[in-house]
Amino acid sequence: DSHIQYERVGADVTMKCGSMDWDAAVTWTANGTDIDESHLNGSYLILKNVDLTQSGQYSCYEGSSWHLKYQTYLRVGTPPKEPVLMCRSNNYPKGFYCSWHLPTPTYIPNSFNISVIHGTREMVCEKDVFPKNRCHIRYLQLFSTVKYKVTLTVTNALGKNSTTVTFDEFAIVKPDPPESVVAKPVPNNPRRLEVSWQNPSSWPDPESFPLKFFLRYRPLILEQWQHVELSDGTSHTITDAYAGKEYIIQVATKDNDIGTWSDWSVAVHATPWTEEPKHLTTEAQVAETTSTSTSSFMPPPTTKICDKGAVVGSGAVAVCWTAGLVLAAYGVLFI
Amino acid sequence: MAAADSPSATLRRRDLCSRGIRLAGKMRSDVIDLLDTYVERQGLDASASVAAVEGVPAAAVERWDEQTGTQRLLENLAAYRAFRALLAQMLEEQREQLGEADAALGRALAAVLLQVSAFTYHLEELLRLESRGPPSEEGAGPPPPLHLGLFERKLRGLGVLRELAQWAVRSARDLRQLAKTSLGSSSAPSLAESP
Repeated sequence: DSHIQYERVGADVTMKCGSMDWDAAVTWTANGTDIDESHLNGSYLILKNVDLTQSGQYSCYEGSSWHLKYQTYLRVGTPPKEPVLMCRSNNYPKGFYCSWHLPTPTYIPNSFNISVIHGTREMVCEKDVFPKNRCHIRYLQLFSTVKYKVTLTVTNALGKNSTTVTFDEFAIVKPDPPESVVAKPVPNNPRRLEVSWQNPSSWPDPESFPLKFFLRYRPLILEQWQHVELSDGTSHTITDAYAGKEYIIQVATKDNDIGTWSDWSVAVHATPWTEEPKHLTTEAQVAETTSTSTSSFMPPPTTKICDKGAVVGSGAVAVCWTAGLVLAAYGVLFI
Repeated sequence: MAAADSPSATLRRRDLCSRGIRLAGKMRSDVIDLLDTYVERQGLDASASVAAVEGVPAAAVERWDEQTGTQRLLENLAAYRAFRALLAQMLEEQREQLGEADAALGRALAAVLLQVSAFTYHLEELLRLESRGPPSEEGAGPPPPLHLGLFERKLRGLGVLRELAQWAVRSARDLRQLAKTSLGSSSAPSLAESP
């Protein structure tokens, strides 16, 4: 007959060959491979200080007949350490969820049991199908000062462990980050960027439970963030952007009255509008760019390379392009 | 008096709701500051657990989303009238207990009491707009003097302020719900039931 056997890492394991006598002649195999006799004490298999690699199927065969006398599946693992548990409400006032994980794997199956107590009342936390280590619970009462006590117990064949968290209704409220953050330059405004976003879709009733927002932005080349707090609305115009610099922008949100700030949204990048540099594609335009240039993006005036007089057919145009590009590259270096 | 659904009543209601929401926000913020001061001056442990205190209206409510506008106003009104009396009593006790020694705590209590009174007025006005009128306060005299020791009175005060802080949050939500629904308090807005 076959069964599963769980043992701790580092334990010494003795396997008996079913009902065979100690002095019976037997052969043991591990995952189909014969085990050396040095591991046997009579017909018993001795595994000392087992490690994870020794998990597998162990079979015992009678000496000459090769009848299978015993089979077991050895699973080497550890008892559970104290689990990590957290609860959060990202859909206030509907309810909250709790999720957990083990700090280190046990390598054997674990079962989890969660209990939620509010005052004297025991509530049921419904396990989610996905992700597995999560359950959700609906608020039966709102605005309560009575704390919630959530206890998670992890059990496996080698032991059990548990942890408890206690919190009040308001403390665990943390919305998901804002969605669909978009940042766009504003035409003809070299120092502006228009940012817009949406409430997180998981927040059920932003009208009755309004959110406030926190925007942060900085040019990629600097480390220091600028911050703006916004009590309402889902858009904001940055008016102090450095001209021509690419910006990184993020938004976070929080219930107006309670709880904590969400994580930062996905970052978006945008560069404020800049005036178009004059083109260098035709000789006529090149000839015009001889004296003044008002914008730092204007490449320095071209030289005699693209002189009108020197132009002969398409080859000369290519020369003009190349010269223009080189000069433009020089211009960029000096920004 | 304007009909409950007249444009002027709608505007007045909206005005009272938005002012009330702001007042509730300020009240909550002041009560939280007061809680810190109270805990410190009364020598209490901020994390002390206070069992439900008799005579203190609990903010906790089931099926909050199913309440009608009138229910919200009536429950709020009853609560703030009770808080008005409780805070007045606390102020009196505090003066007796500490005399003029702790004027700061007394001033903070008085400021919150004033806001509670102002909020009560808002609620009464909103009920008048509902063509219901606020219930009278007959029989609602000052809370009976409690024969509690000094420590029990301090803990009770902690319970009162904590519950008031919860109410301030609830009231802002209630007024937003009120502002959202059309006039005619029989309509009960409810959030979608899906988890």
